[in-house]
Amino acid sequence: MKNKPVVKFLLRLFCFFVVLTVLDGVVGYMLRKIYFSQRVGQYSQTTYAIDSARQDIMIFGSSRAVRHYSPAIISKISGLSCYDSGRDGLMIPYSTAMEEIALTRHTPRLIILDITPRELGIDETKYVRLSILLPYCAQHKQFVKYIQEISPLEPYKLLSRTYPFNSSVFILATNALFSKSIKKDTNGYLPLEGHMTKTEMDDYNARMQKRYLKIKVRKEVAEDKAVGYFKTFLNNTVSHNIKTIVVISPTILKDPFYLDNQTVEKKLIIQIAAQYPNVTFLDYSADPRFNYHPEKFMDVFHLNKIGSEEFSYGIAHYIKDTLLKK
Amino acid sequence: MLFNSITFVFFYIIVTSLYFVFPYRFRWVILLGASCYFYMAFVPVYILILGFTIVIDYLAGIYIEEAKGLRLRKLLLLASLVANIGVLAIFKYFNFLNYNIDILSGKFNFHNPIPYLTILLPIGLSFHTFQAMSYTIEVYRGNQKAERHFGIYSLYVMFYPQLVAGPIERPQNILPQMHAKHPFNYNLMKAGLKLMLWGFFKKLVIADRLSIFVGSVYNNPELHNGSTIVIASIFFSIQIYCDFSGYTDIAIGCAKTMGFDLMKNFERPYFATNIQDFWRRWHISLSTWFRDYLYIPLGGSRGTKGRQYLNLFIVFLISGIWHGANYTYIIWGILHGLYSVAYLIIKPHLRNKSRGKNAAALVRAGNIILTYTIVTFAWIFFRANTVADAFTLIHNLKSFGARPFIGDGISNFAHSLLAILILFVVEYKMEYLPQKFNFYTSPNIVLRWGTIAFTVILILILGVFNGGQFIYFQF
Repeated sequence: MKNKPVVKFLLRLFCFFVVLTVLDGVVGYMLRKIYFSQRVGQYSQTTYAIDSARQDIMIFGSSRAVRHYSPAIISKISGLSCYDSGRDGLMIPYSTAMEEIALTRHTPRLIILDITPRELGIDETKYVRLSILLPYCAQHKQFVKYIQEISPLEPYKLLSRTYPFNSSVFILATNALFSKSIKKDTNGYLPLEGHMTKTEMDDYNARMQKRYLKIKVRKEVAEDKAVGYFKTFLNNTVSHNIKTIVVISPTILKDPFYLDNQTVEKKLIIQIAAQYPNVTFLDYSADPRFNYHPEKFMDVFHLNKIGSEEFSYGIAHYIKDTLLKK
Repeated sequence: MLFNSITFVFFYIIVTSLYFVFPYRFRWVILLGASCYFYMAFVPVYILILGFTIVIDYLAGIYIEEAKGLRLRKLLLLASLVANIGVLAIFKYFNFLNYNIDILSGKFNFHNPIPYLTILLPIGLSFHTFQAMSYTIEVYRGNQKAERHFGIYSLYVMFYPQLVAGPIERPQNILPQMHAKHPFNYNLMKAGLKLMLWGFFKKLVIADRLSIFVGSVYNNPELHNGSTIVIASIFFSIQIYCDFSGYTDIAIGCAKTMGFDLMKNFERPYFATNIQDFWRRWHISLSTWFRDYLYIPLGGSRGTKGRQYLNLFIVFLISGIWHGANYTYIIWGILHGLYSVAYLIIKPHLRNKSRGKNAAALVRAGNIILTYTIVTFAWIFFRANTVADAFTLIHNLKSFGARPFIGDGISNFAHSLLAILILFVVEYKMEYLPQKFNFYTSPNIVLRWGTIAFTVILILILGVFNGGQFIYFQF
């Protein structure tokens, strides 16, 4: 009877784990149902991009892709269907993952990759945020290698039915509760309403100049793995013989990357893109139509609706007049 | 090895199981072996540093006890303290001192020939050094008998739950427990696991969630306006509390499951009504260490008022230096020194008359907010990467009121607010309603298990599983 408390403990622990497993399964099932029944917001946009998008023009990238490209305008001018697969806060590894899954389904005529130089810099968040792919891993095994970038143990965490929906409850709840007031994306495009003021822009400019003085002597280093993802992205376009545009979309300050120690990464983007005959590189970061125009920006990183529509017209005309005529 | 890793979960299960499977006389071997493995998971070779101080202090303890004259005892104590502080100085402060010599010699156009050391700071060095020092001091004072069992003494310094970030234990509390038999205790096991679960919640759901926003602001101080900086600073004050107290809960809980009782380290510090009260609730094991081994030997509150203020200021200055070789920590310590001295000066003039219930509650709330505000202001220096960054952040506070940056999307920000709300509700209950709503210990099994299972599910849903290490590991 000496081991009675141990046996009691182990027995109770086992029972508790059974309860926990059942609860995890039930909560996970409910979250899955809610997640995949989303009709508005970025979850539904991502689900569509992963499972259904078959447009002629596919756009990949970060929040700057989602906010800067209007597929409706691009389709109207170019005569080709278009979908925007970008996602807030995500970077080049995500773009590559989304491209890989898209290419297993169909071959678009044109791919646009919106990129910022910092995506090739050292920043672990670009991998951590790949957790956005967790809900899709059960159906799309191709994503497992991407989520292993978060941690090698990530596939094991998927044993939990709840874990794939980690950090998504707030969005799920608001999308479910206020679905009518949430604006639906237009082929992935989610424009931003509102604009910056000149004071906000000047304040940002002053702070960036100050930052530049502090960091200009810092050695810039690109991250090999991120560069590898960028090359993989372009290699995939070559192997499928798809015309591709790599774009640095407009910025509020003129070529701000030197202010933020991203010149090495920017040069790398230009250099690598130049190695691919099917790839055109477009840089709008010094475009005077956008630089120092706070009325065209929602914040320091993103164009607003007015700015993005103007930019989309420009891109669309380029596609029509230059790329499609080649 | 981080507490918030899957590796630790397996490590803990194996060590605890072995601990209870083996006969009593071998248990210290299991714990010492596990502690060595735990420590060596960071930088294996640094175990030699730990070994060096363990041997020195072990011998010092025995010789101090056996020494006849006071002078010899003092000399032996001094030797032990020099060895401990020497290790700390070399590994933690050498490059900082050299950097200052560099700057100073540059002013006089003199080339400083001393090279910098290219070494990593051994993890938790300040913690186990202080714990080792408290042993020799207590033996010297006659409050503790010298430990003759080398293995047990090593375990006193290396006990893995509190090895790298405390609580900084006293020999009188922990050494007798190392000798005692700890049979499996169902209630202790239960209580320890629940405490660990709450520690994990604080770390994964609150601290690591808040760190995402805090990091994005504090690592780019020039880019953010006053409103954003205020939010980030509030977030950081909660992040560091949950990070450190979360670690402590895991450490205490982990030790408890094996029958050990470690000292309390936190007592809901943000409910403190003045700065003195704050330091009675924050990092208690360090505050009391400084009180017993620095403040009182300096003269404490004896002597003139001026002397008392100076003693207090010195303690906080040293506390700042203890945290790290960086002027940011020194300024943080100075600020707390000034706060504490200012409080001592104004304390006799504070109105102490009884008030009505509502008025008293209002005054209490005001005091809590005021204390929290000055503590949070000091955290700016603690968290900023450099002093220049801290001043940039303070300078940018002038634009308070501008639209704040909330990060990439509302989701992380909203989860942060939710995490803070949960913490506030729980801490409020613990502070003001300790006898009510004790779901974790409810006699109703459905309620009890439901609450525990719900906590686990909340960790799975809201936790950040790729957060960094515990902030206090670096000290």
